[in-house]
Amino acid sequence: MNTQTLPKAANGISLSIAMAVCRRGILRVVSRPTLLLPIVFMPVIMLVSFTGAFGSLTRIEGYGSENIYDWMAPYVALQGSVFAGVFGSASTAEDFETGFFDRLLLTPGSRSSILLGTVLVSAIRSLFPTAGVIIVSLLGGLNLSGGLPAILLLTAASALMASVFCLFSLAIVYRFKTIRSLMIVQLVAFTSFFMTIGQVPLEFMTGWLHQVARFNPTTNVLRFARQGFLDGITWELTWPGIVVFVAANAVGSVLAFRSLRRIGS
Amino acid sequence: MNKVNTATSSRVIKNFFSQTIVLAQRSLVSELRQIATVLPGLLFPLLLAFTYTEQFERVLSLPGFPEVDSFLDFLLPATVLQMVSFGASNSGTELALDIENGFMDRLLASPVARVPVLIGRVGGSALLAGIKTVIIVLVFLADGAQISSGFAGFLVLTLSACLLVVVIGGLSQILAIRSGSQEVVGATFPLIFVMIFMSSAFFPTELMSGWFKQLAEFNPMTWIIDPLRRLMIVGWSWSDAATALGILFLGSVLITGASVRTLHKKLGRP
Repeated sequence: MNTQTLPKAANGISLSIAMAVCRRGILRVVSRPTLLLPIVFMPVIMLVSFTGAFGSLTRIEGYGSENIYDWMAPYVALQGSVFAGVFGSASTAEDFETGFFDRLLLTPGSRSSILLGTVLVSAIRSLFPTAGVIIVSLLGGLNLSGGLPAILLLTAASALMASVFCLFSLAIVYRFKTIRSLMIVQLVAFTSFFMTIGQVPLEFMTGWLHQVARFNPTTNVLRFARQGFLDGITWELTWPGIVVFVAANAVGSVLAFRSLRRIGS
Repeated sequence: MNKVNTATSSRVIKNFFSQTIVLAQRSLVSELRQIATVLPGLLFPLLLAFTYTEQFERVLSLPGFPEVDSFLDFLLPATVLQMVSFGASNSGTELALDIENGFMDRLLASPVARVPVLIGRVGGSALLAGIKTVIIVLVFLADGAQISSGFAGFLVLTLSACLLVVVIGGLSQILAIRSGSQEVVGATFPLIFVMIFMSSAFFPTELMSGWFKQLAEFNPMTWIIDPLRRLMIVGWSWSDAATALGILFLGSVLITGASVRTLHKKLGRP
């Protein structure tokens, strides 16, 4: 009976293994809270810096909000979540360096369970920067006109963006097996976020940046996450974000799984 | 007797300089060999500058913003200092690596003096910072930026970049000597990032408000960036050049002295 069930488990996703990998990732953070410092500290610092330095932007006619925190908080929270996703895959790189990942591959479950567990940890980790940014923004004077739904929408967007960037990072880590290789993803993450409506509305942008930001998929993610903090939640701003989340997670999953399957082959 | 003393001291000075040059060369070669780690530090500030230029054009009309033709002119000194800061702690990281893998012990067992071990490494990074500054200035000029103070202003900017590497590199070396860990030195990066963003690097302090404005005004980065910016957009001024270079020179002397003292303390007086 057991010999019949084992191959079946090896082909499909074993939720128990995924949850075990996820639990291990959470325990790792609990036992080493310093791991959370960069993913919470950096977004909070960015929030303070951007709101402090660029606060006078709200004086310009046509700026998206009269309160700089309403505009910047979702942007910085999402950026923090992206780094939570990238750092999630850094733990996998560490596992490669210590040899633990080889032992993980010897477990009877399918490889996709390991992938799912790692992505789940990253999604959970994204809650920390989001919470940190919202708390500091509230202290700074965030209006939060959208109330709880706005926070829920931002949290969902953060978790989904963390999973997207975790998947893309894993695709690289499974191939190169080093933490250094993540520099490429970090650069892509920074670039994709800076060339959006993160700091100013599209109408403020000129030249090449206007076109790049217009077609950058991250712009739709920002509109999705930010809408509750500005004029209210609408389907018009929601569906393009959902399309980006679904497409990016699908592409990321395929790339990460292909890299994972190639290990040892 | 005096002749013998003079000959000995001139040989010591000669050795000191040749050792410093060799170690600076080693540091420069090691950085250039890892071009993949040098490039992001050069490309990211450039990317940020060009992005900000396209998104902050409307800011130029805000009352209190300095008179400039383009946001790019305003950003030049900040971009150079940001680029320099990103790679400045490398000399500390490399020193920590040498401590970790035992190369430092072999170096200290050789007839090399202690001071060149520190100065040489920072010297190599400073030279690389000078090269990177030239690249950044050329890219800015090609895109239409102007330096009102001309070649003299460019020289002050390049020298400032080199001196800033000595300051940040010296601080990272103190951390490396004390901790002997690359990870600890690497952890200083967010601090540098914070110092740049909480200064007048990307926006004038006149347009800030509240506690953030005060923080930015007390940030030493602002004291360096503001005079350099005036040199770029207003024109030549001896006082601005002296302020920027003076602060950085003083910082370099103090920090280098502190790093040498830390090394002596760690190893015991020779």
